[in-house]
Amino acid sequence: MDNKEFNQVWFKPVTKVGMWTLLTAAILSFLPSIYLYLVHGAAPSFSTALKAWGMIATLYGAFYVVEPISYYSILGLSGTYLSFLSGNISNLRLPCAGMALEVTDTKPGTKEAEVISTLGITGSVITNLIGVTLAAFVGTMLIKLFPPALADAFRNYTVPAILGAVFGQFAFKYPKLAVIGIGIPVLLRYTTGMSAWMLIIAAVFGTIGIARILYNKENKSNNTTSEA
Amino acid sequence: MNDQILKVANELGVWIVAAPVVIMAAIQAIIYTKLARSTTKKLGIPDETCKTAFKTGLITAIGPVIAIFIIMVGMMSVIGGPISWMRLAIIGSAPTELTAAKTGADALGIQFGGPDYDLKAVATSWWTMAVNGAGWLVFVGLFCHKLEKLRTKVGGGDVKWLAVLSGAAMLGVFGYLNSGYVIKGGGNLIAVIVGAIAMVALVNITKKYPKIKEYSLGIAMLIGMFAAVLFA
Repeated sequence: MDNKEFNQVWFKPVTKVGMWTLLTAAILSFLPSIYLYLVHGAAPSFSTALKAWGMIATLYGAFYVVEPISYYSILGLSGTYLSFLSGNISNLRLPCAGMALEVTDTKPGTKEAEVISTLGITGSVITNLIGVTLAAFVGTMLIKLFPPALADAFRNYTVPAILGAVFGQFAFKYPKLAVIGIGIPVLLRYTTGMSAWMLIIAAVFGTIGIARILYNKENKSNNTTSEA
Repeated sequence: MNDQILKVANELGVWIVAAPVVIMAAIQAIIYTKLARSTTKKLGIPDETCKTAFKTGLITAIGPVIAIFIIMVGMMSVIGGPISWMRLAIIGSAPTELTAAKTGADALGIQFGGPDYDLKAVATSWWTMAVNGAGWLVFVGLFCHKLEKLRTKVGGGDVKWLAVLSGAAMLGVFGYLNSGYVIKGGGNLIAVIVGAIAMVALVNITKKYPKIKEYSLGIAMLIGMFAAVLFA
């Protein structure tokens, strides 16, 4: 399939679906607030609403833009639409997208990868929705089945453990880049008081930049006669 | 939060208005799965590969979802069941949502969950969570397709480089995400290191036993997690 055809059968419908699902979800997420106002007359005043908005945007506003841009080259188009609706990107979507490619031996960056990683992500969305729905309706009952020590282990350590595991998976493939990828943010955290969104940019685009330099060098030494 | 407020936050009407967002996430996943399946046929990818990819996502998600489950049950007692359900089905992890809920109370000058935390404060918390989540939804909804053009530009159509590019981006993102836990040290650092080593080992082991490949990330996560509990 050429790029033009892929554009027609994939990118176009994916964009259309992504746009309406995300924008509709954004609107629907205000329903509980509207409900509180209509049924109980409870709502923040206009000025309080603006103030709260300003305060929270100060904390997270940069992430609205930085995260989609930084994650895009991994998630692809449909993966980004899926991940930014369903959330839990670092602990669910990225690991599942990566594993789907790994298990099926699909080369990243290709058309096949775009579609296969989408299936990995939609699989994870289903597990996620089942999990939160179980929690919502029978969670308080089910939680008693967990020994407290086990519940604590899951609560405290699943996130760092899976983040480490995904890092290991890719470090194995690109050991040099792994040193850069972890080195930049750790160094910056120790030496500067840089805010988190700047750390993401430095880590992601710093590593991509070094990767480009190494890639050019390798290609040059491989093709001494012709310029790559 | 006092019982009367929690009663309102948990009433049937709130469940009903929280449901559409959760359903929306499900609908989107179903549409994309169908679209992907029809596209894989055109690309000539075997059915078996698609099933494996989907199943891998389903399985790899189990461990982290158990964690979300446990965290969510705790969150329900703080901000109510239906709103936790809705918020954790979409963008915004539990700490982000709780920060937003607390920020709403701060804007009113009220202590989050304290004795003054009344229905108006709940409304402000819910508004703040919604407006925060909408930041990601609206930006991605409006501009995501432009990012594809950006990737094409940076990638330059070189497939080999595109693979390295996504690997580098992954290591950058996960380098950043891990760095916070590395600095924290203790159990967090152990979980990161053991999780990483376990995964490298599993990548090698599963070359011989490809059947367990789709479980490898989940297994590595459990090993990292238990190592943290044992040695921290």
